[in-house]
Amino acid sequence: MAKDPVRVLVTGAAGQIGYAIVPMIARGAMLGPEQPVILHMLDIEPAAESLNGVKMELIDAAFPLLRGVVATTDIQEACKGVNIAVMVGGFPRKEGMERKDVMSKNVSIYKAQASALEKNAAADVKVLVVANPANTNALILKEFAPSIPEKNITCLTRLDHNRALGQISEKLNVHVGDVKNVIIWGNHSSTQYPDVNHATVTVNGGDKPVRELVANDQWLNTEFITTVQQRGAAIIKARKLSSALSAASSACDHIRDWVLGTPKGSWVSMGVYSDGSYGIQPGLVYSFPVTCEKGQWSIVQGLKIDEFSRGKLDATAQELIEEKSLAHSCLN
Amino acid sequence: MENIVLFQKILVVLFTIAFFWKLVKYMWSFLSMEKEPVTVLVTGAAGQIGYAIVPMIARGAMLGPEQPVILHMLDIEPAAESLNGVKMELIDAAFPLLRGVVATTDIQEACKGVNIAVMVGGFPRKEGMERKDVMSKNVSIYKAQASALEKNAAADVKVLVVANPANTNALILKEFAPSIPEKNITCLTRLDHNRALGQISEKLNVHVGDVKNVIIWGNHSSTQYPDVNHATVTVNGGDKPVRELVANDQWLNTEFITTVQQRGAAIIKARKLSSALSAASSACDHIRDWVLGTPKGSWVSMGVYSDGSYGIQPGLVYSFPVTCEKGQWSIVQGLKIDEFSRGKLDATAQELIEEKSLAHSCLN
Repeated sequence: MAKDPVRVLVTGAAGQIGYAIVPMIARGAMLGPEQPVILHMLDIEPAAESLNGVKMELIDAAFPLLRGVVATTDIQEACKGVNIAVMVGGFPRKEGMERKDVMSKNVSIYKAQASALEKNAAADVKVLVVANPANTNALILKEFAPSIPEKNITCLTRLDHNRALGQISEKLNVHVGDVKNVIIWGNHSSTQYPDVNHATVTVNGGDKPVRELVANDQWLNTEFITTVQQRGAAIIKARKLSSALSAASSACDHIRDWVLGTPKGSWVSMGVYSDGSYGIQPGLVYSFPVTCEKGQWSIVQGLKIDEFSRGKLDATAQELIEEKSLAHSCLN
Repeated sequence: MENIVLFQKILVVLFTIAFFWKLVKYMWSFLSMEKEPVTVLVTGAAGQIGYAIVPMIARGAMLGPEQPVILHMLDIEPAAESLNGVKMELIDAAFPLLRGVVATTDIQEACKGVNIAVMVGGFPRKEGMERKDVMSKNVSIYKAQASALEKNAAADVKVLVVANPANTNALILKEFAPSIPEKNITCLTRLDHNRALGQISEKLNVHVGDVKNVIIWGNHSSTQYPDVNHATVTVNGGDKPVRELVANDQWLNTEFITTVQQRGAAIIKARKLSSALSAASSACDHIRDWVLGTPKGSWVSMGVYSDGSYGIQPGLVYSFPVTCEKGQWSIVQGLKIDEFSRGKLDATAQELIEEKSLAHSCLN
């Protein structure tokens, strides 16, 4: 007998990332090939006809796992009974814009959506914030939805994590599936710190440290870091549009590993509510290395942080503290 | 003296054990080794359908979750930077099944060693345009791409033409690539097939996975004939005919048909863009069922080179009900065709004959 369907909300579903992610969800990329889903899609009134077109296409594709589609501009209806919420809705970053430019618009949106989720979603709803500024939007959402457990509110840095894996695999000319345990620390912005000090590559059945195989600390400490930090801008330059395909895919990876668990011996990066680990101020949504089991994430503890890394970890935390301040001032 | 001999013997035994251990580990690594990657070409990969389909292919929706793939992406020179952006995103997504990406504007390079070719490249239909409007541009494209495929792709390459006019583009491709077996050249009507399943599931308020065996006959155009005379719904473990459950022949013979025929235009009206998500998904379904086989008791619709079945003139690319096994499709034979259906089958064949004529005149 088929499992009970899981309700997945995608906000901003008529946009680019929404259009990329809904077929992935409908095919089981997010929760596995045996888990039926019901999609809730939300967007704003000007996009209502377009959103309905997406619903029509989902019906046209005859997905066996898709048990229902709700397309609406009403946030309350969209949040009803939702088990997983992927908050993509917001202003996309265009060529030349920094993430802070869109903060003020997005912070008001997330305050409103926090209430709606709290009131209508399932009690244990898992939330993934994608829209930028992702960490701070997630923080605002958490502050205005106090009855949602703080561990259930996360933001996406899996895209940066996957980008880092991709860069290492290209550099070493190995398959990306053999690279693991990079870390993205901090903010999903240009201050993020892609850290390979604990990353490995599986070679002939054993795991070798990335630093050893690359044998180029200069590159790993400079060009590699800036490439990953600025990859979003590079995609915009090439495509004239923000990353959609890779963002959608990484969002599915984030939820899948959160719900189904991380593979043994691997960790992933997630933006989560900080608890003081690694000397990071509590009360920020900060990206850490985490493992996931039984639907819960835990920060990987005890990793050595060298002096170079310490500076980077603190710099991105500082930016998040400033963003938090800026966000609060936008709300007053 | 004896001790030295004993010591030497122990050393030999230890070395032998170590050697065999390494040998066993080495052989074991072959057992758990992955399949050889399959090379999949997508033309028009920088466009809307391309952007939707490449992550589906990279995640295993087309060939299954255990089959590694290498993606070849082709587009025209003005789209080269955008195409490279798509390649960058595919790398950024860290897909475990994706073993390589080639992004190029060179048709020869794109076709090299390709096992599966999904021809999406062409002029997309915009609001107000009929498919015939884009025929002349696309027919020249498909003549050129036929030669490149024939010269560079794997001998048994499977081809799916998506770009409209899909059936006639596929026919032109077949005519100009004579060394590709005619049974390997198909066009997409699976989108219409899936749309028909969707409409029935909405009408009956049942799950679409329980509806099967609709048929799309003929041309992927507004003359297609969505036929439910043999379609069933699985209810309480048994299959009931759709006609019986819907109990509304009037609707099935008119509104249902026109809704499916004109669905493409309805999507364009709502989205201001042609279907991409559903076209990409259906293209994956088409290839997957072709390569991995159709489920027992089910058939699907594919545009294939006609052989005279059901009184349809041979030498057209016409959509029929097919089952697939061991990588080959076969037309489902022996289905009863009533008078109403006969008229529809012939009308869409007539349109294809006219398109074939028009296409040939475009080439002269």
